Amino acid sequence: MTANDPREEKLDRLLRARRVDPAGPDLAQRIVLRARQTPQNPSLSLWQWLRELCLELHLPKPAYVLASALVFGLVIGLSTPDRSAINGNDSAADASVQSVFSTDEGLL
Amino acid sequence: MATAWPEKHDHELLALIQDGNSQAFAQLVERHTGRFYRLAFRYLQSRAAAEDVVQDAFLKLWENPALWQPERNSKFTTWFYRVVVNLCLDRRKRKSAAALDEESEFADDRPAADELLIQAQEQKILEREIAALPERQRTALNLCFDEGLSNQEAAEIMGVNLKALQSLIMRAKTTLKERMKVFL
Repeated sequence: MTANDPREEKLDRLLRARRVDPAGPDLAQRIVLRARQTPQNPSLSLWQWLRELCLELHLPKPAYVLASALVFGLVIGLSTPDRSAINGNDSAADASVQSVFSTDEGLL
Repeated sequence: MATAWPEKHDHELLALIQDGNSQAFAQLVERHTGRFYRLAFRYLQSRAAAEDVVQDAFLKLWENPALWQPERNSKFTTWFYRVVVNLCLDRRKRKSAAALDEESEFADDRPAADELLIQAQEQKILEREIAALPERQRTALNLCFDEGLSNQEAAEIMGVNLKALQSLIMRAKTTLKERMKVFL
């Protein structure tokens, strides 16, 4: 099976000369036309999904939504009263909890 | 037909297709239909079947553009050759053996006086023998003798190394030489 093997050469020639019937001249056009009638199924990333959701629900752009949510969270966080401010009522609260426990125990 | 972006690379067109741009799709189809049709024809030996396969492959891409993942595939054509080859193999598997035999029948009792007739007969026998080769050998042969594809590209499409590809081709050619010795 050397490179000069006439059988090998003829086989190569035959392989290269394999007949291919030409495609219809409008094959590409037919494919494009079929595609135009076919909807796409895009797989959405999380960000794209969020954008679609905002559009669907007529919400502002996701960036604005996120920024507003952040600001809103900060405002709520800052406006929550400090724990130390209710420390003065701790003993009263403890007493009422104790009385609830003792009532339960009495029933048992 | 779209000729809007002849200068755009395949991966740029694919990015546009992923955004639903049908003009980019038309451009890609126009650019590559011929080569993928030729490959499909070599597998299926039928113009209608080859056209169907190429159409199916492109429509799959259009319907699910996310199938193309640039980070996982170096070149569109390498990936799409694989898609077309798989569709061809699926189609061949669906066909019954009886149908294949019928398709590759030829009149071998004709007088071989005419040179053209001999050539046509040689081609017919060659196609029949190629169709009878193991799947991987046939794929290697179809890819390597398809114009414009280097052995390296063919190996990449098949997911094998260069040596394995060369071995597949050598085995395929040895079988063909043996089976076609009357004609060679």
